[in-house]
Amino acid sequence: MTGTASHWSLILARRDELADDLAQGRRLLSHWAGASMVMAAGAAVYGLVLGMWHGTVLTLYVAVKLPLVLLLTSALTMLLSYVVAVLLGLGLRFGQVANLTSLALASASLLLASLAPVAWLFTVSLPEPSTAARLAHNLLYLLHTGLVGACGLVGCAVLWRGLQRMRPGAANLRAVFAAWVLAFALVGGEVAWALRPFVGSVYYPVAFVRRDALHGNVYEFIFTEIVPYLWSRR
Amino acid sequence: MPTDPDAPQDIAPLPPARADLESLDAAARAAAARAVRPSAGALGAFDELLKAPQQLVERGAAGGSLSTARWLALGALVCAALYGAVAGLFQGGAQIAVAALKAPLVIALSLALCLPSLYILTALAGAALPRRLFVYLVAGFAGTLALLLVALLPIAWLFSVSSRSLSSAVWLQVIAWIVAAGFGVRFLGRSLAQRTGRRVVALWFFLFLLVSFQVATYLRPVLWRAPGAPLFARGKMSFFEHLDEVYRFEEAREKAEAAARAAAAAKPAADARAATAAPIPPPPR
Repeated sequence: MTGTASHWSLILARRDELADDLAQGRRLLSHWAGASMVMAAGAAVYGLVLGMWHGTVLTLYVAVKLPLVLLLTSALTMLLSYVVAVLLGLGLRFGQVANLTSLALASASLLLASLAPVAWLFTVSLPEPSTAARLAHNLLYLLHTGLVGACGLVGCAVLWRGLQRMRPGAANLRAVFAAWVLAFALVGGEVAWALRPFVGSVYYPVAFVRRDALHGNVYEFIFTEIVPYLWSRR
Repeated sequence: MPTDPDAPQDIAPLPPARADLESLDAAARAAAARAVRPSAGALGAFDELLKAPQQLVERGAAGGSLSTARWLALGALVCAALYGAVAGLFQGGAQIAVAALKAPLVIALSLALCLPSLYILTALAGAALPRRLFVYLVAGFAGTLALLLVALLPIAWLFSVSSRSLSSAVWLQVIAWIVAAGFGVRFLGRSLAQRTGRRVVALWFFLFLLVSFQVATYLRPVLWRAPGAPLFARGKMSFFEHLDEVYRFEEAREKAEAAARAAAAAKPAADARAATAAPIPPPPR
């Protein structure tokens, strides 16, 4: 806990010190562990609010699942991020790539945790979940998507600044950044889809993961269940 | 003061001309590249390819040992087999082994078919490549492609186990393949930029992609095989037709699923109708 608190202050107040350590390749493992803990703690706090509309069980589930989404997505994309960075000439070590990613995610998670009271207010102000509460469900969905998306953009900004500081003026910096963000967004979308529900459906019972979690990916859903109906009059 | 031209003179030699300097520099670099010990084993070779790809090229240009190139080629086939196994998880079962066997075949055959054109194109563009350098370039291309495939393994695993439709699995593999081959071609482009310019490499990349798609079609089925179907499908087909076949397969599967759902929904209603239509048993006497 002390480690998490000290990393909290490192991320919020002593970023220069942290950036120097990362650039010099010092204490990479402890910084990565600290940032990951901050990321998990921040996401868990927001998860408590994200799942609370559907009651205690989903609240607890989402407090576990939201950090899991970030950690799993990081784990799945890390190798690609490292290889792309090295092949595009940034010459970063694996530990530096892991730290840059976890620092961005930790920053986004901290901001997300700070927005938990706002999300809480909207959640407790809306009608209880029922098949008649579709509008409330959709509004909550939009709210959470907006907040998480905004925090994601802030995380991207932290990542970009970290990359610039680590390799100032390097060619291909933008390409590496774009590749990292794209890979994280595409994989994160699928991981979150596999670990649904988060807000909770008004039709389906609460579950940690749905039985059909791995039966179809999110992009199949978008292209077969959403896109064809965007232009349909039905 | 008169001087004897034959007398030994203790003066500094004249600076060599620019061309001499360049040739001296090239010779020194070649000697240094030859002197660099080739990386030990496949891991060392891939590490060098990742972190100092130009060193590899210089060793090839200097006529260095081919052991690194051999490791890269062999490693590329192993990486491709691993990637194939993960792609085979889409269907699972025996198809894991089948895809693990076919993925390296796709790479090896595509390369074998495209190497002559790479050699001739670069030669026509003004770079007659020495044999060893060419071998290093090809091994570097295959190695970089394989490195990317390995880096994409976790992501390919996630989408292979969670995708439902064959068309989305195919598109995932196509995108991963283009990304991996793109980085491989980037290695070629950077290595050949001074000699041929990048247009030749871009042209060859397009050719390599087309050929690899057709090779994958020739070696079909890779991702999904009907129960009892042979390991290699018979009959000729272009990769466009193959893609069309994938979509037709999807359509048929969706129709079959919809019919099954309709039948399942209709069954309780039919049962209820049958129950009401059943003759009322005579009252007990």
